[in-house]
Amino acid sequence: MKCLDRLEEWLITFLIGAATLIIFVAVLHRYASGLPIPLVQDALLRIDMSWAQELCIYLFVWMAKFGAAYGVRTGIHVGVDVLINRLAEPLRARFILFGLSAGALFTGVVGTIGAHFVWRMAHTEQVSADLEIPMWMVYLAIPLGSYLMCFRFMQVAWHFLGSGQLPHHEHTRIAGLDQIDQETGEDINPYHLQDNLHPRDVTVTHADRSP
Amino acid sequence: MNAAIIFGLLITLMLTGMPISISLGLTVLTYLFTMTTVPIEAVALKLFTGIEKFEIMAIPFFILAGNFLTHGGVARRMIRFATAMVGHWHGGLGLAGVLACALFAAVSGSSPATVVAIGSILLPAMVKAGFNKHFGAGVITTSGALGILIPPSIVMVMYSVSTSTSLGALFMAGVLPGLLLATLLGLTTWYRARQFNFPRQPRASWRTRWISFRESLWGLLLILVVMGGIYAGFFTPTEAAAMSAMYAFFVAVFVYKDLSLRQVPQVLLVSANMSAMLLYIITNAVLFSFLLTSEQIPQTMANWLIGQGLGQAAFLLVVNLLLLLAGNVMEPSSIVLIMAPILFPVAIKLGIDPVHFGILITVNMEVGMCHPPVGLNLYVASSITQMGITELTIAVWPWLLTMLLFLVLVTYWPTLSLWLPQTLGMR
Repeated sequence: MKCLDRLEEWLITFLIGAATLIIFVAVLHRYASGLPIPLVQDALLRIDMSWAQELCIYLFVWMAKFGAAYGVRTGIHVGVDVLINRLAEPLRARFILFGLSAGALFTGVVGTIGAHFVWRMAHTEQVSADLEIPMWMVYLAIPLGSYLMCFRFMQVAWHFLGSGQLPHHEHTRIAGLDQIDQETGEDINPYHLQDNLHPRDVTVTHADRSP
Repeated sequence: MNAAIIFGLLITLMLTGMPISISLGLTVLTYLFTMTTVPIEAVALKLFTGIEKFEIMAIPFFILAGNFLTHGGVARRMIRFATAMVGHWHGGLGLAGVLACALFAAVSGSSPATVVAIGSILLPAMVKAGFNKHFGAGVITTSGALGILIPPSIVMVMYSVSTSTSLGALFMAGVLPGLLLATLLGLTTWYRARQFNFPRQPRASWRTRWISFRESLWGLLLILVVMGGIYAGFFTPTEAAAMSAMYAFFVAVFVYKDLSLRQVPQVLLVSANMSAMLLYIITNAVLFSFLLTSEQIPQTMANWLIGQGLGQAAFLLVVNLLLLLAGNVMEPSSIVLIMAPILFPVAIKLGIDPVHFGILITVNMEVGMCHPPVGLNLYVASSITQMGITELTIAVWPWLLTMLLFLVLVTYWPTLSLWLPQTLGMR
């Protein structure tokens, strides 16, 4: 399990870094190859960077799918929680569980649709415009990412059933920086606050009451 | 009728507190499964192609750039520069806060990020200098909102993506209103500070000013990279965003050295986490607007509204009220992604300029960020100052009032937004 967590984090970190680097290099290349330096210009002109934009999009699509799953684990997804945060705890717990199961249901359905789609795609000869990689490989992000997200929703729901706690703040601290909140010692991440965009924890757990 | 079912379903699902992205997606799936015969493969394709646009990729890049700047010591130097320039006037550090927020807003695309970057350094300093805690929190919470009005702006990217409006023109259009709002907030700060006789900083010498300017120059140059690059046609907005991310990385790690290479993966991860959340909302919002379009709801609504004899002025008033109301329950990106595709066709039919409309929406979002129950700036400020939300709400009102007046100005004076992009020939 730890292994899956690390892999997920490593993957999205790599994807966002790689995408940034690729666009940076592509832009540099575009301007550098315009400079009239003998030999260098010829060498640069021979390198074709037209695929950079497409690759960047695919990297980000993969990052978005797996990052969304990671986001469930860190509790970053925003919702309208003004109403349910005002409810009594037992009732709120029910709404939170409903929300988490709805998340699992949706991502599960999407994953399945995506899997069928990829399966059919794999039997065609479709390739991407610039990179010419088979499209089914690109679209594989939908089933994989969605199923992972579905799993994360179930994981969070399971944890919530036992402890009444939802994920907050975890894994987002950047150690050793001055933005760390003096009193609570937590990194202030605008999307991780106890605001009304996220449901609050409950103190009495669901498991305690319903046998 | 269909519209009522779709929106009823969406609102019900959202009110249960599930993530907005999930409620959008579930609404679409439920409707498609039960009411129509749209092939499900089309949905799968939309799920992927929804964010398959290079323009959208400006969002993760701007978030990344913002995070490098926030953690890279750029804010600290900008605050020093701002204090050296305006610290000796009434309002001292408060005024410097407004200026620093405006400067930081010109390199970062997000409001809460601006509040974090400026507030976490300046607010403790203000309290130490003898300022009232409420005063400081009020200044920073509202000035931080400049983050999405002064370009670059993530909210504007969202608007541009969902309405196909030129992002370059939107960015340019945000400049003058942004400067005006900064001035108005500064005036409010100055007036309040003079009234209560808050401490002023000693006047800085021109030498100090020059040194602080030179120190913050690396951060300030980023404005040139983004705006200059886009305007001169060197980069597309997305490329400009990627360049600014690389530039911010370079400045944070190699020039200012406030961030070590070891911390870079963590900054990347936090940025990826935030961007993925926004991209996931976009994916599902695209799916949702695909459903709306295939049911021809925006067109029907537009025709109906125009049939009611609604004029420009009345429509803009309705839009403002609607958005302010939405600002009470949702965060800006979701509001723009859900509302813009619905309101935009009407605005166009009524002859409202798409760029002006975008600026109006952005200012509305700013207001929503500064008041409860979901104003993100307020929550950030609350976690910095350890003040309660109710207390902060009272602290914020003089500036919030200024912002509301500014909103009226922006709504009914399109020239303010449109003059610059038109003069530069970007329309």
